[in-house]
Amino acid sequence: NDRLFVGLGGLATDVQTVDQLLKFRQNLYELREERQMSPKVFSNVLSNLLYEKRFGPYFIEPVVAGLDENNKPFLSGMDLIGAPVYTDDFVVTGTATGNMYGMCETLYKPDMEPEELFETLSQALLASVDRDALSGWGAVVHVITKDGVTSRELKGRQD
Amino acid sequence: MASLMSAQQAVKARNGQFALPVHSSEGSAGIPVAFDAAAAGPSSAAADPRSDHIDHGVTQAPYERRFSPYEFNGGTTLAISGPDYAVVAADTRLSSGYEILSRNVTKLHPLTDKCVLGSAGCKTDIDQLRSVLDIKMKVYEHNHRKPMSTPSVAQMLGNTLYYKRFFPYYSFNVLAGIDSEGKGAVYSYDAIGSFERTPFSASGSGQSFLIPLMDNVISHKNRNDEKRQLPSDEVVEIVKDAFVTAGERDIYTGDAVEIMVITKDGIKTETFKLKAD
Repeated sequence: NDRLFVGLGGLATDVQTVDQLLKFRQNLYELREERQMSPKVFSNVLSNLLYEKRFGPYFIEPVVAGLDENNKPFLSGMDLIGAPVYTDDFVVTGTATGNMYGMCETLYKPDMEPEELFETLSQALLASVDRDALSGWGAVVHVITKDGVTSRELKGRQD
Repeated sequence: MASLMSAQQAVKARNGQFALPVHSSEGSAGIPVAFDAAAAGPSSAAADPRSDHIDHGVTQAPYERRFSPYEFNGGTTLAISGPDYAVVAADTRLSSGYEILSRNVTKLHPLTDKCVLGSAGCKTDIDQLRSVLDIKMKVYEHNHRKPMSTPSVAQMLGNTLYYKRFFPYYSFNVLAGIDSEGKGAVYSYDAIGSFERTPFSASGSGQSFLIPLMDNVISHKNRNDEKRQLPSDEVVEIVKDAFVTAGERDIYTGDAVEIMVITKDGIKTETFKLKAD
């Protein structure tokens, strides 16, 4: 929904399947509970979904980001069998994780404004994927605030 | 031989299992399970299975024992060139597997007073490589009556690594120094001697954390603001930040960073403490 985003990276077919499964479970939750699913719950649902396939996993490494009911930001990352890590600064997954950890660790500071956060994230992402042969061809950045989501497409090196 | 075989068969029949497989870094060996001597009878007198518990793949399924001549001792090095200076830095931790062998081992080695070599990888190969380089440089000085210039050192290091193309030095090098025109020079190497002059270079276990950061800050990639020349003290601050990052996210990097700034006036060294975890 508008305050909850999930990023699924990995095998494309599993990305699509898990995306559909998540939508299904989210819809069912919202019909039963008559309220929006909070990011913490969503992250848990995803973690469960992945661990159900513990011995034949979905090959995806997701990140979950969103604002909960009190507009507090929530982040979590997971490995392919659903082990979650909850942080308050940043989560990274994909082929360029080493690059991104370095960039994020150096450029991150707490309590940034949305514009500054967007700049920081874009620089970190662009610099990291430029040094990775398997990533690139542009990027999409969503900045989630209590007033809404701003989505921007970045043009990077097209190689 | 026949009696040995029957002894083993007797043990197998008794408890269905001959030996507990033991796996070590030198390969797997079998430790025989003790069987009660009372019921042993003729088979125990014939041969004691304990005496040759390393089977060498003779009676059981053949396995391969491997000794690896290489070990990864960890560490990260970083070098950045400027208009009239070069900065080279390396952490001082020596590790082996999950253990720290020393917190205070230098990875930087001045070759001339204008040129420093930083290496990460297998310490013994690095030490040997340095020995060989020092000898070759002495010979050069005797023959040419002058110290080697940095581009010559760069070429010589590349050649020395390629000599061992089929049993390489496990050493990931960066060379930093002042070239013959007085400008800063940094050369990056791979383990078998391919090299290139670059604006900056990082190698070792933490290189993937440092390289994109250097791209962004030093080479100004993906940035829309003005690129400006960085003075050497600012670059040293950037290097310290970078190593704090690498120390956080890489288990083999930490303890302290040794930073050397090379100018035409010589080499200045600074040590900056990092987290020791």
